[in-house]
Amino acid sequence: MKMLAIIRREYLERVRTKGFVISTLLLPLLMSLTMLVPMLTMKSIDTRNTIGLIDPSGTYFAALDAALAAQQDARVSLIPIPVAGGDVAAAAAGLQDQIRDESLDGGVVIGDDFIGVPKATFYSRSVSGSIIREDLQPALDRVLRQTRFERAGVPDSLHSYLLERVSWESLSVGDEGEATRRDEQGVFVLAFILIIMLYMMVLLYGQQTLTAVIEEKSSRVVEVLLSSVPSSQLMFGKVVGIGGAGLTQMAIWVAVLVYMAGQGISVAGLSFDASFLTPLILGSFVIFFVLGFLLFSMMYAGVGALCNTIQEAQPFATPIMMFVVIPMLLLSMVLRAPSSTLATVLSLIPMFSPVLMFIRVCLSTPPLWQVLLSWVLMSLTIWLMSRAAGKLFRVGILMNGSAPNWATLVRTLRQPD
Amino acid sequence: MAPAFLHVNDLGKSYGQVRAVDGISLEIPRGSIYGFLGPNGSGKTTTIRCIMNIILADRGEILFDGRPLDRLLLDRVGYLPEERGLYRKMKCAEQLAFLATLKSVPRKEAMRRAEAWLERLGLGEWKDRKVDALSKGMQQKVQFAATFLFEPDLVILDEPFSGLDPLNVETMRDIIREQNARGCTIILSTHMLAEAEKLCDSVCLIEGGRKVLDGTLEAVRTDFPLKSVRVAYAGGKEPPARLPGIAHRVFQDDSWRLTLEAGANTDAVLDALRAAGQLTLFAANRPALDEIFLSVVRERRAAAGTEAAS
Repeated sequence: MKMLAIIRREYLERVRTKGFVISTLLLPLLMSLTMLVPMLTMKSIDTRNTIGLIDPSGTYFAALDAALAAQQDARVSLIPIPVAGGDVAAAAAGLQDQIRDESLDGGVVIGDDFIGVPKATFYSRSVSGSIIREDLQPALDRVLRQTRFERAGVPDSLHSYLLERVSWESLSVGDEGEATRRDEQGVFVLAFILIIMLYMMVLLYGQQTLTAVIEEKSSRVVEVLLSSVPSSQLMFGKVVGIGGAGLTQMAIWVAVLVYMAGQGISVAGLSFDASFLTPLILGSFVIFFVLGFLLFSMMYAGVGALCNTIQEAQPFATPIMMFVVIPMLLLSMVLRAPSSTLATVLSLIPMFSPVLMFIRVCLSTPPLWQVLLSWVLMSLTIWLMSRAAGKLFRVGILMNGSAPNWATLVRTLRQPD
Repeated sequence: MAPAFLHVNDLGKSYGQVRAVDGISLEIPRGSIYGFLGPNGSGKTTTIRCIMNIILADRGEILFDGRPLDRLLLDRVGYLPEERGLYRKMKCAEQLAFLATLKSVPRKEAMRRAEAWLERLGLGEWKDRKVDALSKGMQQKVQFAATFLFEPDLVILDEPFSGLDPLNVETMRDIIREQNARGCTIILSTHMLAEAEKLCDSVCLIEGGRKVLDGTLEAVRTDFPLKSVRVAYAGGKEPPARLPGIAHRVFQDDSWRLTLEAGANTDAVLDALRAAGQLTLFAANRPALDEIFLSVVRERRAAAGTEAAS
């Protein structure tokens, strides 16, 4: 088949270059470096925060220190600040000086009667919320409760029972079948990965399609090609061939990432519970990614077909990127109400489907027909655009100086292949 | 004359205000080598691009074997464009095979033929080299091979000889003759009229986007008004210096070449010449194609000039 020959040529021409091999190897290399460096430096640099404690009663330091030590990955070590002559204000001023000259990372001031009036003040150069939320607050809470239990005469055996917190599980109700377990963070991470991958591929290879189409016009092979193949097939073949090269690279990268993740190396700090990755989600991830990528590449091919130089194409190429960005802006809205009519309509727009329909698949399992419809619509758009791009290519080519006018454009678009 | 294989009817194409092709009609006989002749900028390449459906004609009808060019027909038509080019980074044999698969030749067969053609053109050792490494002449030969590799029924060659040395021109000429003998109809667009004269059965001359004359080579030459005669007298006698109907005389090779005045009566000239002595030679000096070409083009341009002036 002719189109297969074109796809094969475009694919091999790209995959065989040194640049392709190098860039394919470079990314995993860079990534392992970015992971190795923090791992190495982590050992040499103490990342613990030293926090001063002003405790006028002088009775809570031991209990707090013990509570912090009991916490997993606490990043805080506590040192007591003496309160000379009961002057808390002076001690607090001294504490702030120490924070200012960076001999302390922060400081906590609690009152005389902490158990009666459980109030704490936190000082630091930059208010780091996570230290308070994840380390100090639980420790203070624990000391408060434990002391109150003791004062109320609650037996020790009941302490852990009373201190136990609610463990949460989020389930979402799909249109059919059982409620399924959802990992909101995981969904977000996966959608984020899809967007990043799509963005990267569109930038790297979509743009390449544009360049390739423009080059094909200036290359002199084109007349021979056009005397053998309908131009829409030429466009389609080019997009699929170049895309294939891009997908190959992406597949290698993903394989490396999955391997690294499997080795327990957290990838770029992202780790998530993989249990929500149903075959439907994984399968649609691949389909949305491939269709989305082809769709955007085809748009680039169309712009390339219209223009004669890269400079001329730039202003037309920028809006294409907008179609990748807009779904990100709509994301929060769809996240809030994934099954609303508006979300449904937006997610069916072919340019938005890869991101919006995919996130709906992750969140709430929309009816299968909607997912299938979005695939059909995307494929249809790709096909229509390949035809239009092919025809535009024909008009744009060999114009010999005279710019195409609307009449020629319309006539060309209506002409059968 | 054999029935027309390619039929072009009232073809027109303008670029803005410029009428590149202005109502050209052609009948290209099956199995012929058809010379498509004209000066630079006369509309040859535009006509060919319209025929190959690379650019869209403004008007007119093009029929191959009675039907418009469709996908199936494309596989039977070869085209060597004037602006030649190959993928520079591709190996020669692969490139030829690729172009042949685009004409629906199966890949294996295409590869086999590609190597055979390269061998034949003396490029056998270059088959695994990139096109980049080839000289311009070699690249042209590779492209020539690509045009015939898939055994087309019709081939359109746009200025196939430009940039080739005489030796290579001869190789190409042999290939054209051989492919024609195989049954391939060939359209040869060129301004190298000597080449056209050697190869073509039929010719068509266009100028300013219009057809000026066409027909078999023989018919074109016989129909063209006689411009000069060759004469010789017994004993090497000179013809009279002044004779009615004769513009001037010149001795060339072993005979005198007499240029006739426009509209001169050849009978009257012959009578006058016989009166002057015993003729051993009186022959019509059939014009070469380039003479016809020049005189027709000049006539038309002069006519167009006066038209524009008035």
